[in-house]
Amino acid sequence: MAQGGSRRGVASRAYEFLLRPEASVIVVSVALVIYFEIANQNFLTNANVQTVSQFVAAPVIIACGEIMLLICREIDLSVGQVFALAPFIMENVNDIGVPVPLAILAALAVCALIGLVIGLITIGLSVPSFITTLGMLFLITGLTLTISRGYPANTAGGPWLTGIMGEWAYSEIVWALAIVAIMHVVLRHTRWGLHTIAIGGNITAAAEAGIAINRIKIGNFVLTSTLGGLTGLLEAFRVGSIDPLAGGSNIMFLGVASGVIGGTAIAGGAGTIIGGLVGGIMLGVMQDGFTLQGINAFTFDIIIGAAILIAMVANIHLARLRSHAPRGGAR
Amino acid sequence: MSEAIRAENLVKTFGSVTALNGVSMRVERGETLGILGDNGAGKSTLIKILTGYHQPDAGQVYVDGKPVRLGSVDEARALGIECVYQDLALVNGLSIYHNMFLNRELLWGGPLKLLDHRAMRRRAAAALDEIGVAIPSVELEVGQLSGGQRQAIAVARAVSSNARILLLDEPLAAMGAREARLIIDLIDRLRGRGDIAIVMIAHNYAQTLEICDRVMLVQHGEVTFESHAATTSAEELLDIVRREYRAARAG
Repeated sequence: MAQGGSRRGVASRAYEFLLRPEASVIVVSVALVIYFEIANQNFLTNANVQTVSQFVAAPVIIACGEIMLLICREIDLSVGQVFALAPFIMENVNDIGVPVPLAILAALAVCALIGLVIGLITIGLSVPSFITTLGMLFLITGLTLTISRGYPANTAGGPWLTGIMGEWAYSEIVWALAIVAIMHVVLRHTRWGLHTIAIGGNITAAAEAGIAINRIKIGNFVLTSTLGGLTGLLEAFRVGSIDPLAGGSNIMFLGVASGVIGGTAIAGGAGTIIGGLVGGIMLGVMQDGFTLQGINAFTFDIIIGAAILIAMVANIHLARLRSHAPRGGAR
Repeated sequence: MSEAIRAENLVKTFGSVTALNGVSMRVERGETLGILGDNGAGKSTLIKILTGYHQPDAGQVYVDGKPVRLGSVDEARALGIECVYQDLALVNGLSIYHNMFLNRELLWGGPLKLLDHRAMRRRAAAALDEIGVAIPSVELEVGQLSGGQRQAIAVARAVSSNARILLLDEPLAAMGAREARLIIDLIDRLRGRGDIAIVMIAHNYAQTLEICDRVMLVQHGEVTFESHAATTSAEELLDIVRREYRAARAG
C-alpha cells in the first residue's frame, strides 16, 4: 500500500518498511544464511537448498490456514493430526479400488469435513476453538491409529503423480509457494480476507456491518483442515511411506510460529500470508543450519525454542512501534 | 421542510419494567433533534426501536409519512435509518476506506470478485470531501485517528451509504473541545444539506442546546419536555429534571 505517499521521504519509507514484520524477518534470515554459509561451506549447495525447502514447505502451508484463523481470533490445534490422518484415508480408499487421484480428493474431502465439524462445534455450541480442537487433536490421533492399526504403510500411485505430489525434490516448495500466492490474494484482495480481518479487529463492528461472521469462521476452519490434509499427503508422497504418528503438534506449532514470527497478531485483526512464508523460511534456515553445524540434538531444541521466543517477542514489540508510527497504511 | 420520521405513542416493556410509556417524537429533514435524559430514562430503548433492534409493544413509526414496520436492523437500514455508535462502528486495524466500504466493497475482475482498492480509495476520499471532513489520507488505519476523526468517519460512512435519518448515540462523549468542534461543525454541515434528519442522544445540556434545533427530555419512559433549542436554557431543563426527580422521590 505505498500509493498516495509520494511526498514521503525515502528515509521515512525505509523506516516504515523495516518496521514491517516481514522485512525484519527477511533481514534476520539473510543474516542467518550468510552466517551458516561462512561457518559451514555446504549451506548453499543444491542438495542443502533442497533440504531447506523441504523443511520450509510443510510449516508454511499449515501457516496459511492458521494465519487466517488467528486473524479472526480462532486457532486449530488439531491440524497436525489431520496431517497424519489424510494419507491413511487416501490409502484405504485406494485399497477398495478407487484410483489414486480420486482417493486424494476423497482424503481432502474428509479433512474438509473435519474442519466443518470443528467450525460447527465452535460456533454452534460457543466453545473456544482452543478447546474444540484440543479435543479433536486426541480424537483424530485415535482415529488414525485405529484405521492404520498402528502400522506405517507405503504410498501408492504412478511415478508421474508421485512426482507432482512431492517426490520431485522441489515439488513441495512449489506447492507451498502456489498456496502462499493464492492465499495472499484471498487475504488482501477478496471480501473473504477483508472480512476475516474485520471480524478479528472488531467483531461488533463486523456484525453491525452485516458480515456473515459464522460463515467466514467456519470457512477458515475448513480451509485450515484441508490444507493440513494436503500437507500430510505431500509429505507422505515425498517420503514414500505413511506414518500414523507423522506431523502432530510439532508441525502445527511450527505453522503457528511461522505466522506469529511473520507478524500475525495472536489477538487477531492483523497478519499477512507473506509474513507466514518468511517466518517459515527463517525457521527452516535455522533448523537446517544448526543441523549442519552438528549441534547436539538436545541443545538444538534449546536454541530453536529460544530463537522462536525472541522472534515472536520482537515482532509483538515491532507491532506496537508500528501502531505508534505517525503515518502508515502499512499493515 | 418535510417530515422524515415520526413515532407515535411507543410503548415498550421488558418483563415488569416499562421502558417506554407512550413516547411520541418527530423530526424533519434538515432538522436536528436532541434527546436528553438520564441513564435508564428510555433514550436507548427509543433509539433501538427506531433502528429496528427492538419492536414496540404498542405505537407506530412513520417514515416519510408512511407507517412502517421496523422488524430488524436491516429493514430499518433499507428505509435509510442508520445509527452511528462512537466506538462500536469501526475496525481499528483496517484503513479508512476499507472501513467506509465494509461489507459493501467495490469489486473488479468479473468472476474473480477482487477488491477494487483504487476505486474505494477514490470514492471514500470524495465522500469525505463532500461532507467537509479533512483527513490526510484515506489509507490511514482507523486506529491511528483521534476520537473525533473516528466519529466523523463513522458518520461519513452512514451518509455515503445513503442514510437519510441519522441517529447519533452520544456523539460528543469523552471528547476534548477541539474534537467536539469537529463533530459539531460536521452536524451543522449535514443539517445544511437539508435532506438528512438527525437525532442525537446526549448528556450535556448546554452542548445539545447549541447543536440542535429542538430538544426533548425523556424521563422514566415519558417525554416530560419538548421545545425549540433557541427558546430554551440549560437552567430551565435542569429545573424540570430536579422537579421530576423530587416528585418521583415523594411519590
